[in-house]
This record gives sequence, structure tokens and C-alpha cells, in this order.
Amino acid sequence: MSSNLKITEKKPWLAWLVFLVTIAVVFVLGLLASSIVERRAEAAYVNVPKKEISSFEPRNEIWGENYPREFQSYYGTADSSFRSKYNGNVMIDMLEVDPRLVVLWAGYGFAKDYNQGRGHYYAVVDVQNTLRTGGPKSADDGPMPTTCWTCKSPDVPRLMNEKGVTQFYTGKWARLGPEIVNTIGCADCHDPETMNLTITRPALVEAFDRMGKDIKKASHQEMRSLVCAQCHVEYYFDKTVAEGANYLTFPWDNGLTVEGMEQYYDNIEFSDWTHSISKAPMLKTQHPGYEMYLTGIHAQRGVSCADCHMPYKSEGGQKFTDHKMQSPLNNIANSCQVCHREETSTLMANVYERQDKIIENRDKLEELLVRAHVEAKKAWDLGATENQMKDILMGIRHAQWRWDYVAASHGGSFHSPVESGRIISTGITTVQETRLKLARLFASLGFNEEVPYPDISTKAKAQKFIGLDAEKLNSEKNEFIKNLVPEWLKQAEEREKTYDIVANNKE
Amino acid sequence: MLKKLLPPLKWRFPVIVIIGIFSGISLFTLYVSKAHSYLSDKPETCTNCHIMSPQYATWNHSSHREVAHCNDCHVPHNNIVNKYFFKAKDGLRHASVFTLRKEPQVIFILDEGAEVVHQNCIRCHSRQITDPKLVASVEQHTAHMQDRKCWDCHREVPHGRVNSLSSVPNARVPLPESPVPDWIKKYTKNN
Repeated sequence: MSSNLKITEKKPWLAWLVFLVTIAVVFVLGLLASSIVERRAEAAYVNVPKKEISSFEPRNEIWGENYPREFQSYYGTADSSFRSKYNGNVMIDMLEVDPRLVVLWAGYGFAKDYNQGRGHYYAVVDVQNTLRTGGPKSADDGPMPTTCWTCKSPDVPRLMNEKGVTQFYTGKWARLGPEIVNTIGCADCHDPETMNLTITRPALVEAFDRMGKDIKKASHQEMRSLVCAQCHVEYYFDKTVAEGANYLTFPWDNGLTVEGMEQYYDNIEFSDWTHSISKAPMLKTQHPGYEMYLTGIHAQRGVSCADCHMPYKSEGGQKFTDHKMQSPLNNIANSCQVCHREETSTLMANVYERQDKIIENRDKLEELLVRAHVEAKKAWDLGATENQMKDILMGIRHAQWRWDYVAASHGGSFHSPVESGRIISTGITTVQETRLKLARLFASLGFNEEVPYPDISTKAKAQKFIGLDAEKLNSEKNEFIKNLVPEWLKQAEEREKTYDIVANNKE
Repeated sequence: MLKKLLPPLKWRFPVIVIIGIFSGISLFTLYVSKAHSYLSDKPETCTNCHIMSPQYATWNHSSHREVAHCNDCHVPHNNIVNKYFFKAKDGLRHASVFTLRKEPQVIFILDEGAEVVHQNCIRCHSRQITDPKLVASVEQHTAHMQDRKCWDCHREVPHGRVNSLSSVPNARVPLPESPVPDWIKKYTKNN
């Protein structure tokens, strides 16, 4: 037998001591192990959002329960109090400000109603309220197709997923009224699982595909602009994709330039409408904000849309992206001054200087276009033939496309003043060459006088000049808002009640 | 000598069991605390403790992410012995604080650690701080380099200014996941 036994035989308490110490050590070790397990388990709750968000969740309030700061700043887009020199987030009746627009868009929806838009918060309400969407009385009534909803709501990707993309683009605008109630929000740009930026609108992906580019390869910084480019771009409705469908398409196949898109439309002989005064096959530039931004210095230096329109913000020691998308002029400290160390007033003056100089020539081009339309009408009245008018009408189409490209690229005169200036000048050249042709045509028709400039000093006068019955449109609209819209909201509420996930803080 | 330590025959069985329990729990502790990961230089090791999430998230959004990991700045690199000595010393202190739940809401670096980081700034940026052209472009740079730490002026580098435990909610940080192996989860789920 070893000596241990002898020792313990002599001192039995020693055996007990060893036994008890072992118990204590194992006990403490066990405690340590369980403490480690506990603290590891905490990690499962730290940094993990509390509310489950299903894919295609359209309700912004549900996302907001997990991300209150982003959500609350996003609802800052409800603020409509900032007005800059030309735009801002106040609703401005642009036809009142500039009645020439009515003549330029004669025969098209924009002559009825065109406002400076408010924030994303109002996207659904404002598209319901505009006279352009008319006063439908039923699901199959009204002037506009379902495609007009595409950019208005996170209900859109949900519907596209449920019903199919082509199906979504088919039918009248009023058909989807009860389905689209949540305003532009979280699910339009974010993946519900990772919160990574994601593209939810097929038109952008398809345009990239046709250009041979893979949008999935875009970097995070590019995505911070591309999510905006889902909507803030030039587009048209392709009616050839499927029977009855107005398929939203970006005309980027020949490049993202004013000439490339013009060529694209000319090649497919597309026109948005025929001008009711000049009979020209017109193009309506939508809002090539992204395309114009790409040609500017900020894009060339790698600055994204979000860098200026959604700068970082600090609140209670937490840094996050301010989701109140707005004019950086309303937040110069956090946008411009992060890079530019100049006084607020200096920066503001720099922006206005560019805007003033671009609008100076844009206004001139606008006036020349009004003249061209009126002169073309005179030529028709004098008995000009279609053959004689063909080039002239194309000239008007191209010149107005260029004017609209700059006018509708909201912010383009700051984003890219050089390109804006270039486009305006090509527009002026085109319209004046067209008016030279008109002058020669007048000469051959034996007419040698100035065609009088119409009295379009107010919106009402201009609408009367183009023969638009604004009163009728307004009363139809009021009826629609009184009768159909509440019905839509009721149906939507019933539908959302059936969703699995219920909002906590909804009264 | 060895024989002296061996227990008597009739004790052997219970002693083996007890030593087994002891070693088992020790091994479990090592496994569940991911002890092996502390030998590596991976930044994920630092988020073994979830309270390092703000530090990880802010670094992961900084330009230093591309060139420097936690250990490149936070342990000395003058020699390998010092590196592991400091790492062990600092690590054990952190582990004790974390286990005792004594971590403050806002974690500040201690003087000793600050000196290590400062030396590491110099280690990588020595050319920027000795280049006369660059030095001349910042007023008083040479003087200021003598009497303060780099980040007394370069305050955003690399973790930003605010670093409380709650400063980065929802940041996606590689926190340790459940230590239970998948096959057990699958098995228990099926039953």
C-alpha cells in the first residue's frame, strides 16, 4: 500500500478535506461554466430585433417596432414646411407658377394637374388626389393604368409576388386601389432579414440585364443610389410585352443619356401622346433624376443619393441614417458641410446660382416651344401637308424632350449643371431650327406674319386656351375621393386584419 | 515519487470518476468559452463577449477594417513574448470583469492599453508622421505628437466618438451562436 493510505489512516480528516475541496472546486468550476453559458446565451438577445418581419411585409409600422429611430425619422417626410427658392417639400401648383407648362403638355394628363411633390409620406394620398388619375367610379374605370402605382407603396412588391409582375401591370389604376394603402417605406428598399439594401422593382433589374450588367454585383455605395433609381428615373410603359399590360420599362438600352434615350424612343416610334395643338408625337420625360445625377461631379466623386439626402444623424448617442429624405438645403449642416467647409449661406448661394442660370435658358426654351406649337397649328390651319410637317413635328418632339429632360430631372440643375446647360442649349438649337423650317413653310404657304403669342398668363387662361374643362375634372375627383377612396381603405383594413403579425401600437 | 501520489487501490475507482468529472467540466468550460479562439488574431474572438459589439460594429464600418484587426492595435508588437504576455494579462482581466458582471455601461481604455494603441498607430503610420511635407501641412503637428495621444485629435478613428453598450442596436456582429451542435438540435426538434 502506498504512503497516501498511511497518511489518511493516521489523519482521516485529511481525506475528508481532499474530498470537500474537490467538491468545492468542481462546484465553482460548474458555476463558472454555467455563467459562461448564460452570458453566451445573452448574445442571442443582444443586437437582435424583437419583432418578426415577414418577407413582403408592407406595413411600415411593423418594421418601425424594431427600428424606431429610422422609422420616426422616415415619418419626418410628413413635414411640408420647407420651401427653397424653386422647390422644397411644400406642395406647389407648378401650372400656376408656370402656365406655359399647360400649353407644352396640351392633350396630356400633366396639363390637368402638376404639383411639386411632397415627401414620401404622401405618395399614396397624392396619387389619389391628383387630377391626372381622374375620378374612377369602379375598378375598370379611369384614365390611368395600374402601372402608376408601381412607385407608390411597399404593397407593390407584395402584390407582384402574389399575382405576378405582368399581371400587376395589367388593368386600370382603380383596380388596385384597395390593395395599395401603405406609403413608400421600409420594404421598398430593405431586405426584411438582414436590412441590407435590396432592389424590389423589376424594371431596374430588367434594364440592367438588357445593358448586360448584373445589379447583384453593385457595391453597397452604389446601392445607396440604386434603391432610389428604382423610381427616380426616366421610364415608359411598354404595351408590346403582353396583351393589356402597361409594362414599366426604362429606355436605357442605348445609354443613360438624353440622346441615347431619344434615339431609343425614335427607333421604336414611341410617343406618350399626340400634342393637341401642334399634333406632334410627343415624349414626356418622367424624372431622369438618377441619370442626370450620374453626369454630375458628386456622382463622379462617388457620392451617393443617400449621402446628401439621408445623411447620418446622432440621437441619444446612437448614430444612424436619417430616413427623412429631403432637400439637403434643409439640412446643410449634416449633408453639405460634412465635406464642404463653407458657411451655410455661401453653400445655399452656390446652389441657387446654378439653379438660376439653368432656369434662365430653360425659361427661354419654354417660350420658344410654346411658339413652335402655336406656329405648327397655324401651319396646319394654312393647309400644310403631313409630309411638309413631318420634320417640323419631329423637331418639336426632340426639343421639348430636351427641355423636359432638364425640367423634370428635379435638382438636375444642381446635380449636373454642365449637362443641364448642354441639354438646354441643344434644345434651343433644335427648336429654333424647327422654327426656321416653319418660317420657310409659312413663306411657301404665302403667310408672312408673326403668329401671336397666346395669352396664357395664368393657369386658368392656359387651360382654357387648350380647351381643358378643369371644373369637370375637379368635380369627378371630389366624387371619387368622397365615395371610392373610403371604400378602398375599408377593404384594405379588412385584408390587413388577416395578416399573421399584428402591430402592437396600432389603436 | 509518482507512486506516492497514486491513491490506494480501493480508492482508485472513485478517484478516476472524480478526476473524470473535474476534467470533463474543465474541458466543457474551455469549449463553451471558446478558449482556443484566443490564440488567434481574428476579430470575431473579441465578440465572444457580446459587450464588445459596439467596438466590433464601429470598427467594421471604419476604413481600418481593411487593414487592421483588433490585435494589430490593441496588443503590443515589439516582441512576441510581450505580445502574448499582454494579451493574456488583458484577456484575463476582461474575462474576470465580464464574469463578475462588472462591465461599465461605457467602456474606456486604460492607460496601459492606450499606450499600446498609441505605439501601434506609430508602428503603421511612421512614414506619415515623419514625412516633413505632411508634418508641415498640419499646424503644430510635431509639438502635438509629443504631448498627447493620436486620437485626442483624430477622434473618430476608428470607433467613432460614442461607444456605450447601447450605441449600436441591431448592428450585425458575429456573436457566438448556440454551443449546442446542430445534430442535437435536429434530434431534439424531431422528437
